[in-house]
Amino acid sequence: MKRLSIPLALMLASAMFAVRGAAHEKKFGDDRGVMSAIAQAPPETRDWQNPYEGQPEAIAAGKKLYLRHCAECHANDARGSGHAVNLRSPGVQNATPGELVWFLRNGNLWRGMPAWSGLPIERRWQIVTYLKSLRR
Amino acid sequence: MLVVFGARADRLDGGKLLIAVRIPFALAFLLTVCATFAPPASAQDTPYFITDSHHLEEPGTLEIELSSNYATQRAGNDFIAPWIEFEYGAKGWWTTELYLDSQHIFNDGALFTGWRWENRFRPLMKEHWINPVLYVEYEDISGADKTMLEVVGSDSQADHAVRNAVASREHKHEIETKLILSSDAKGWNISENFIAEKNLGHQPWEFGYAVAASRPLRLAATSSPCNFCRENFVAGVEMYGGLGTTDSATLSGTSHYIAPVLAWQMPSGVTLRLSPGWGLTDTSHRFLLRWGLTYEISGFGHKVRSWFR
Repeated sequence: MKRLSIPLALMLASAMFAVRGAAHEKKFGDDRGVMSAIAQAPPETRDWQNPYEGQPEAIAAGKKLYLRHCAECHANDARGSGHAVNLRSPGVQNATPGELVWFLRNGNLWRGMPAWSGLPIERRWQIVTYLKSLRR
Repeated sequence: MLVVFGARADRLDGGKLLIAVRIPFALAFLLTVCATFAPPASAQDTPYFITDSHHLEEPGTLEIELSSNYATQRAGNDFIAPWIEFEYGAKGWWTTELYLDSQHIFNDGALFTGWRWENRFRPLMKEHWINPVLYVEYEDISGADKTMLEVVGSDSQADHAVRNAVASREHKHEIETKLILSSDAKGWNISENFIAEKNLGHQPWEFGYAVAASRPLRLAATSSPCNFCRENFVAGVEMYGGLGTTDSATLSGTSHYIAPVLAWQMPSGVTLRLSPGWGLTDTSHRFLLRWGLTYEISGFGHKVRSWFR
């Protein structure tokens, strides 16, 4: 039992820290946070062309992907929740599609936005196509 | 099929049956109920059983996984080793995980074989061509553990031929470390793990490896909701094995396996995984069959915190 006490104590402490940490994840939800994260995108991303731009099929596919992967934090209507950004905000809508697809790939790990690099780039473009359609 | 899923209840006594069969099946039932009634959530998990990639759990998300390893035994009885994982995204750069292991040797008995606590850290905050992840795990398991979540040193199928009454007397306190390197390109994930494991009871370091590649069967999503469509399937292959110890750094007498993997990621948040594996050396098991059922609870950390407000 003595041998177990150190790993068990470490585990308990980290469990408390983990739950507290995730719940206290710094807000990446305000415009400033998003703007500063997107500003880190390399300049060439501004020239990346969205292969699905304006395509209704891609918007529908992007909406499906959004509801599956993003809506839990950003809300079904993409207006954000307590800790996640409003994706209809100017900070997001004024970014270029290339910057957004780069941001989806990298995330903002310090501020709680996961990296979605595991999604094929085709699906990230479809999500961006859907997000851009919300501007209307 | 019943044998594969551990339902040979007639050979077990009541207490052991509870651990090895009833609890996993109860959890599987619970996961199915959750999948039916909970809101959809789905991550970007790779289909591998052994190889880790750089994709960590989303912050605040709890993933519950029930998996099992069935193996044929050359000299001895076949066995099945179910385990349960609780994987939690503590931060964007840190995932922590608890494993509870059990096993059942046919015509012998069933055992709870111990627990593991695993942590994965991403030192780099941006995506690169090759993304490193640091992995540290503490294991408190018995010699009867047969989950084979890593193959290191000169692990061989003969280690698993020992009857439970004898093997369970050995207790192992081990530290396992990994350097995980992982890349995503053109829809493919390619991951390499370099493993070093140390029994804290003055044993030498043991080394191993795992490499894997996978790709969704369709890269772009379709516009309509679907369950049984190519975009929800990820296929790949993984290979893993031992690389000797600090006392004997040789491939002689080591075990190696190759295993195709297939994952079905349903929009409900449930993922089913299947992986038949074949031993490549005389010291390997001839055949392994792994399966897993995963369910994700998004926003778990926030929900837990809200209970204490």
